[in-house]
Amino acid sequence: MDQSTQAAGRSTTAASVPPPAGRGGLLGPLVLLAALAAIPLLGAGYSLQLATDTLTAIVLAYGWNLISGFTGYLSFGQVSFYGLGAYTTALLVMHTGVPWYLAVLASGLVGALAALILGPIMLRLRGILFALGMLGLARILSVVFNSWGFAGASIGLSLPAELMPVRIYYATLVLALAAFAINALFVYSGFGLDAVSLNEDEEAAAALGVPATRVKVIAFVLSALLPAMAGGLVAWNRSYMDPTSAFNPSLDLQVVVFVLFGGIGTLWGPFLGTLILTLAGEQFGVSFPNLQLALYGVVVVATVLAFPGGLTGIANRFGWLRRPIVHAARGLPQAAPPPAAAAPPAGGKLLELRGVTVRFSGLTALDDVSLTLGEGETLCVIGANGAGKTTLFNTITGYVAPTAGTINYKGEPVTALPTFRRAQRGLARSFQIPRLMPSLTVWENVLLAARHGRQAARAQAHAAWVLEVMGLTPMWRDPASRLSPGHQRQLEFARVLGLAPDVVLLDEVMAGMTAEEREVVRNAVRRLPQYGVRGVVLVEHVIAAVADLCDRMVVLDFGHVIADGKPQEVLADPAVVRAYLGEPL
Amino acid sequence: MPSQRRPWGASSYCRGALAAFSCLIGLGGVAQAAKPIVIGTTVSETGPLATDGEYQLRGLQLGVAEINAHGGWLGRKVELKVYDDKSSPGAAVRLYQRLITLDKVNLLIGPYSSLVTVAVAPLINKYHMATLEPGASVPSIYVKGNTWNLMNTADSTTYLHQLLPLAKQHGAKTVALLGLESAYSLACYHARVAQAKELGFKIVYQTTYTLQTDFSSIALAIKNAKPAVVLECGYYPDSVNLVRSLHQQGYAPQFMGETVGPVEAAYVKALGPLANRVYGNSGWWFNFKTPGNAKFIADYKKMFHAEPDYHAAAAYTATQLLGAAVEGTHSLDQEKIRQWIVTHKVESIQGPIQDNQYGHTVGAVQDRVQIQSGVLKLVAPASLAQAKPEIPYTGN
Amino acid sequence: MLALQLLVNGILLGGLYVLVAQSLNLIFGVMGVVNLAHGAVIALAGLFTYWFTAHTGANPLLVLPIAGVAGALMGALGQRLLVEPVMRHGARSELLSLLVTFGLSYILIELALQLFGADFVSVPDLQSSWQLGSLAFGKALVVAGVFALVMSALLYAWLNHSMSGKTLLAAAQSPTGAISCGIDVALVRMTAFGIGVGLAAAAGVLVIIIQPVAPQTASDLTLLAFVIIALGGLGDYLGVAIAAVLLGITQSVAGYYLGGNAEYILPYVLLLVVMVARPGRFRRIR
Repeated sequence: MDQSTQAAGRSTTAASVPPPAGRGGLLGPLVLLAALAAIPLLGAGYSLQLATDTLTAIVLAYGWNLISGFTGYLSFGQVSFYGLGAYTTALLVMHTGVPWYLAVLASGLVGALAALILGPIMLRLRGILFALGMLGLARILSVVFNSWGFAGASIGLSLPAELMPVRIYYATLVLALAAFAINALFVYSGFGLDAVSLNEDEEAAAALGVPATRVKVIAFVLSALLPAMAGGLVAWNRSYMDPTSAFNPSLDLQVVVFVLFGGIGTLWGPFLGTLILTLAGEQFGVSFPNLQLALYGVVVVATVLAFPGGLTGIANRFGWLRRPIVHAARGLPQAAPPPAAAAPPAGGKLLELRGVTVRFSGLTALDDVSLTLGEGETLCVIGANGAGKTTLFNTITGYVAPTAGTINYKGEPVTALPTFRRAQRGLARSFQIPRLMPSLTVWENVLLAARHGRQAARAQAHAAWVLEVMGLTPMWRDPASRLSPGHQRQLEFARVLGLAPDVVLLDEVMAGMTAEEREVVRNAVRRLPQYGVRGVVLVEHVIAAVADLCDRMVVLDFGHVIADGKPQEVLADPAVVRAYLGEPL
Repeated sequence: MPSQRRPWGASSYCRGALAAFSCLIGLGGVAQAAKPIVIGTTVSETGPLATDGEYQLRGLQLGVAEINAHGGWLGRKVELKVYDDKSSPGAAVRLYQRLITLDKVNLLIGPYSSLVTVAVAPLINKYHMATLEPGASVPSIYVKGNTWNLMNTADSTTYLHQLLPLAKQHGAKTVALLGLESAYSLACYHARVAQAKELGFKIVYQTTYTLQTDFSSIALAIKNAKPAVVLECGYYPDSVNLVRSLHQQGYAPQFMGETVGPVEAAYVKALGPLANRVYGNSGWWFNFKTPGNAKFIADYKKMFHAEPDYHAAAAYTATQLLGAAVEGTHSLDQEKIRQWIVTHKVESIQGPIQDNQYGHTVGAVQDRVQIQSGVLKLVAPASLAQAKPEIPYTGN
Repeated sequence: MLALQLLVNGILLGGLYVLVAQSLNLIFGVMGVVNLAHGAVIALAGLFTYWFTAHTGANPLLVLPIAGVAGALMGALGQRLLVEPVMRHGARSELLSLLVTFGLSYILIELALQLFGADFVSVPDLQSSWQLGSLAFGKALVVAGVFALVMSALLYAWLNHSMSGKTLLAAAQSPTGAISCGIDVALVRMTAFGIGVGLAAAAGVLVIIIQPVAPQTASDLTLLAFVIIALGGLGDYLGVAIAAVLLGITQSVAGYYLGGNAEYILPYVLLLVVMVARPGRFRRIR
């Protein structure tokens, strides 16, 4: 699957929302809120119960949307937190007599705490494994509570609760508003940008300094907090909780249907999808009880096949409900170049590899490689395909842990440092095939790199400046997936500058470019010192394109360094010529 | 109609602009017709409880049809308003709320299964609706504070209660007891454990289990414990699996009892000869000499082209009981109906039903049936028995 | 003796697991798609078997080829119409295919409810055991296990030693590469999905002989099958067979000494333990 089809696929789904940003007035939401607040006036009976249940489903949908929509970790087990929350409230009310609202808050706390403990473990899994791992977790909890006498075992717990439908309704409404606000945070903030970047390409995000584990654990904790509190409210409202209802997997499956239908990874999708499907489902279920399941099934299949963006996706086509561009909703911020760097320490090595060896199950990709990058130096690494160039990059940037050897960066050992920390410290890389965040705009792609380790206003000014330098300002609001291949490479390069790096590693950055595009990049490379870059490592296949940029040249052959020196000397080395088997150098 | 429990008249649902919104999305109620008396209920038409729910629904439908054939109640026709609760406690809560506040039904009959009933109980007690419960046999529902749930069947602690005494008569001294982790079956299981101790049985194996499908290890453990009696409180699938696994491990106890599984028609179909001589229990049976029983069976067959079971009988009983209370009090007042039911003994097709002050049916027991050559026969109590128990269980 | 019988029971249970899981594994291995409608197919085929034998009095094993072929045809058709369209979405196709098959499972479960009702049913065939000394071998489980073993062996041989099988694997490992070699990848995927669904349907015929099945069993079967292939290694046919048997033995022992609840919960606990202890083994999934 090549990058462009991949991008095309993404741009029609999930977090993709084509700019420009819509300007939603505040009137609509306020009317909606007033209407929701007025529902109890209709009476405290069935309609209120239905409204409460619908709001509960909206809370669950928004909770699920955080981890599975924005962050891209599809979970089939968020009901675990719902159940934990329900039991927390039930047990607290029964045994301690705390007021219900405190019990519900405690439920949220328990849910969040459980997610904080489980998150780092479960979120190491990806894709289907995470989804079904969570389902397995819910299954385990259900069995535990089904046989745990203290929690009423299979008979469940009946609470000595008074029924207070109006208060419960307003509590649920408040919770739903909080859920909406948290989702809005994901849409409007840089943190949300981080989360979406994990959804788009977690590995590339690490190279931009995104602390993946922290971001996804926070998203997970928030997406556990909401259902846990919802569960607490439901337990109190029903005055009853049993393991079958508490850990009912179909609750999650329903939420998946709702969010998907409304638009996954969007701000309004969970609300719209849940509202329409619960109300339609209620009417449909009353009239044709036997067909409701099938209806859900058809909704899911039709949504995925015909309009993957859901209702929000359709609305977007008409210019409605588009998400704002993060930190540039009203236009591009003022550009400003980075502040002049403090005078670099003279004579220090920027990068120093000593005896680095990398083995993959028997295959030695790098064998005892030692090399250095000096202050102000441009080092070119050349070699045939399979010589180990990309592995070298991956090792320096922390994607691959060396089997042996050490890596020092600016005089400090970084061998054990995770990728995102190296990136944040100014050790930047580009990828051979650009790994952009396809549904994010050009601006957001750069901002993503700029925002870590930098104060917000400074980060925005820096990102705007990078766009200017790289000539990408005219297309700042285009989604990355819509760029021409040449512009995509420029954007990849721009993201590297977004980090305001000290050392830049460029992986075949000019491959497949037209002459003019290449010239833009060559100029950019020449200007790198002006942008504060103190050292450059270029990996290039087309040596002619870079030879005049190099201060020094290293040749890799089957994981060995076979030459290291001035470009002209290296290119004349018979060993190098032999390694290239007569390829034109 | 006791208006203090439903302070919002039907017309108040459509008030002003908000009401327009509410009516648009279908919340607006249809004003209830003054004429017929409406009984509201939910039934598990789908989901895991659908099989038994279907019997319960048919019992209600038959009951209402017969009431109307005899001119209804208080000179008014009787209507049944049924929703599908999908076997889900949560859905049932909302649907009962709908029945009470939106549909404004006159009377309620409870859902199927103790689990769903427990979930609905707070609502019923809040709205003070006298609710007959044909499908909830767990005694813990009918206690102080939950006095509006009115039981009309034997409770689950009486399931298979005559099996251990029978086995003791025939010299059995050891028993293996199994209970599925669900509300009704655990109540049954604990009652049988206590009974076994009381009768001086040695419990050589006991376990509770979740809805699993592999019983080979449990069967092997039972085989090694060599009990004379194996008694399981469970549902249909685990009943079938246990009998099969015991057979495969090569063990046949003298007495094999499995509460409600064997009573289902699918049991013999699934197990064939292995089902012979297994005991089950039922709160009602075809040969009961109770008033109206023969007619109930005949009408049921005519209406549904199938045989009734004890769920259908219990549901039918609920309509009988409700009818007796309505006619007896000449009213639809919930408090009067409740009072009437807890103070009167009613002859039903299941036998006499008498509830105590908490709505718990006292004195009624589940009777024992046995599969003999592929046919279910009542074997206890002796006064009604169609056949003598066939002993021992052979497992083929 | 006890230990041996526990071992036999465990191995037989493992055989049932291979039967239930291997077809899901095939589809995943070739397409990277977890078919969430897997359990619904098994349940539908099982319920059909019950219905068919109840009306004709035929031996349920006769249904095996019918269900297999019908399942394969419907699977191929379903793949072409519903799953193939989302295979073009690159990295996203995993998520999208998960959602499509999830929706499909709802539809199939509803179909089963409408056609066969909500009841649990089973058929009274092969209920007894073959005795070897004092060891008992449940007949239905032996038949299912042998079928699963033969199926796994044939799959393995076909994928690794025949031209068409190698084509399948090639398409699985590198769709782009396969396209450039002139392989019709879409056709390959349709074939694999068809075979997978056909085998799942055949498994359904055997499952209903072993234990009662109802439409609601579908999601349990899917989850169980997934847990097994996750434990054995997704796309690894031998690994799944080994894991299934080991799981069966562990459950057999746990059930004997710790009781029903422990046995039931064990697969999920093991899955989580393996995920926590060896996350690396799940890394290649992406």
